[in-house]
Amino acid sequence: MTETALIDDTLAPLDSEVMTDSKAPLSSDDRVREFEELALPYTKLLFGAAFNKTKNYADAEDLVQETFAKAFKAWHQFEKGTNLRAWLGKILENTYINMYNKKVKQIGQDSLNELEDFQMGEAVSLTARASRSAELEALDHLASKDVREALQNLDEKFRMVVYYAVVEGLSYSEISEVMDTPMGTVMSRLHRGKQALHESLKEFAAEEGYDVTPTKEKKAAQKANRAPKADR
Amino acid sequence: MTEINCEETKAQVHEFVHNELAESEVQNILGHIAHCDSCEADYDFEVAFNSVVKRSCDEAPPAELAQRIIDRIRAINSGAEQH
Repeated sequence: MTETALIDDTLAPLDSEVMTDSKAPLSSDDRVREFEELALPYTKLLFGAAFNKTKNYADAEDLVQETFAKAFKAWHQFEKGTNLRAWLGKILENTYINMYNKKVKQIGQDSLNELEDFQMGEAVSLTARASRSAELEALDHLASKDVREALQNLDEKFRMVVYYAVVEGLSYSEISEVMDTPMGTVMSRLHRGKQALHESLKEFAAEEGYDVTPTKEKKAAQKANRAPKADR
Repeated sequence: MTEINCEETKAQVHEFVHNELAESEVQNILGHIAHCDSCEADYDFEVAFNSVVKRSCDEAPPAELAQRIIDRIRAINSGAEQH
């Protein structure tokens, strides 16, 4: 996909359904009012996503502001009644790519995605573990900053899928749209991202003095820690 | 309802927690969990894990951001910034 195609894609409505009623265009003041009423309530959600991408407040603010500026310019292309949150999320993703020139290594990504899907069979849940209650207690006592740090240590594409699914509660299909990634890849990234996050949180918990890593798991844990880096 | 084993049950924990399963699959899992403590514990754990992550990620935007966005949009609207 070329850079231009990506930008155009950003501005296109997510839902391919075409509205049949042709309304008169809004006056420019009405447009501002409508945008402020419908889109601005997503500021906190977009900021959360932006912060998880940029990892700092100043860049996150810039990214959110830029996203809303783009969204406003493209507002006439948004189909009312379709998923505004996903539409804004997609603009944020693409704005980030443009602002921070992150669109590197896109070539060859498809084959890597296939690899991820292929490996899904191995992506067993955070399961088959002993002493659930000890783990739960440890998790419950972890400081928020440790959890955030563990999340931010994940590779971005795993981090954002985990973030969108767990924190924002987006569905797999919404994440797929926002990140322009096949559903199977979203699933495998969520499974593997959460597994890696879990292992990393167990390390924090162990540092806090909780015994949460029975010996038989250590091998699996090491494997899981490596997994998310395999397709860089 | 189809009977499913622990492996099948555990493999679907994320999809279950994230509401990505069909009603029949949900029923199969609930049927299994009802008599399997190990799988039930896994599911409980996953829910708790999600809530820990969720509550840890609650960065609120700085108060002045909303105003900055509004100013920016109005500037665009008035033609101060090119479309």
